Amino acid sequence: MPPEPRGLPLVEVTRTYQFSAAHRMHNPAFSDAENARLYGRCNNPTGHGHTYRLAVTIRGQVSPDTGWVMPGEALDALVRRHVLVRFDRANLDQLLSPADGVTSTTEVLAGLLWRLLDGRLAGAVLWRLRIEETPSNFFEVNRLLLRRAAALPDRPGPAAGGQKASHP
Amino acid sequence: MIQLTKRVEFCAAHRYQNPRWSAEENARVFGRCVNLHGHNYVLEVTIQGEASPETGMVMDLKALKDLIIDTVLARFDHKNLNVDVPFFTEAIPTPENLAVVIWDLLAPALEGCSLARIRLHEDGTTYVDYSGERGPAGEPAGAGRAA
Repeated sequence: MPPEPRGLPLVEVTRTYQFSAAHRMHNPAFSDAENARLYGRCNNPTGHGHTYRLAVTIRGQVSPDTGWVMPGEALDALVRRHVLVRFDRANLDQLLSPADGVTSTTEVLAGLLWRLLDGRLAGAVLWRLRIEETPSNFFEVNRLLLRRAAALPDRPGPAAGGQKASHP
Repeated sequence: MIQLTKRVEFCAAHRYQNPRWSAEENARVFGRCVNLHGHNYVLEVTIQGEASPETGMVMDLKALKDLIIDTVLARFDHKNLNVDVPFFTEAIPTPENLAVVIWDLLAPALEGCSLARIRLHEDGTTYVDYSGERGPAGEPAGAGRAA
């Protein structure tokens, strides 16, 4: 096919997965009493768990040969290899390192999954991750947000960072 | 500026086949999708504009629904996309290409507001978004893969 004068359509493709994992929110830098106050029932010493639903969005040009941005099975294999085999039926607290964040909030998990998946595609880019911790709570990280955050000054303003946990 | 979304459903059959490839190559790339099969598609059409001071509406949702019925559903609902939609005698009726075709049908038909996004769900786990953007001219075709 001759190259299109306008270029090929840029489309975002989202596929969804799920994994079941246990965790406990606990920041070892704080006292037990402070953890209990901050994280509430999510600080239960014996842990709890969720069926996380993960929506992975990639963005790229549609191939005129296949009509795809990328084969769905190739994305499935990537997510399976780098995320699902590690996180499904696992204890998140054993998978996170201190470099990932203080505890296994879904914010921290989203950042970790982004780092695990980003840069592993050719001909398309990782565009957005959305993680549903429960049907009522979902978290999103995307390339536009990250670009915007990177352009911001590195010292957060006084209002940044929630102090009271609203985790279920 | 407000965005609003209308959701509709349509049911259609399709198969994936690149007419420039052999049967073996098609089977290798597209797997089971070379067989004629179908989906219950869910289409979300998002438009954007300013709410009219007279009506409080960006666009009458009934008018938007009618437009989608006349422009999109009349062509796609309970059809064989490969046979009944001229564009797909050449292009492959993937969700990506469907979203682009739907965008190209609806975008010029709106007055007083603009099309913001086409989201097309093929099933409960896969959907595509298209907002009318195109890549740089002359850049090689997407063909995303694991790096």
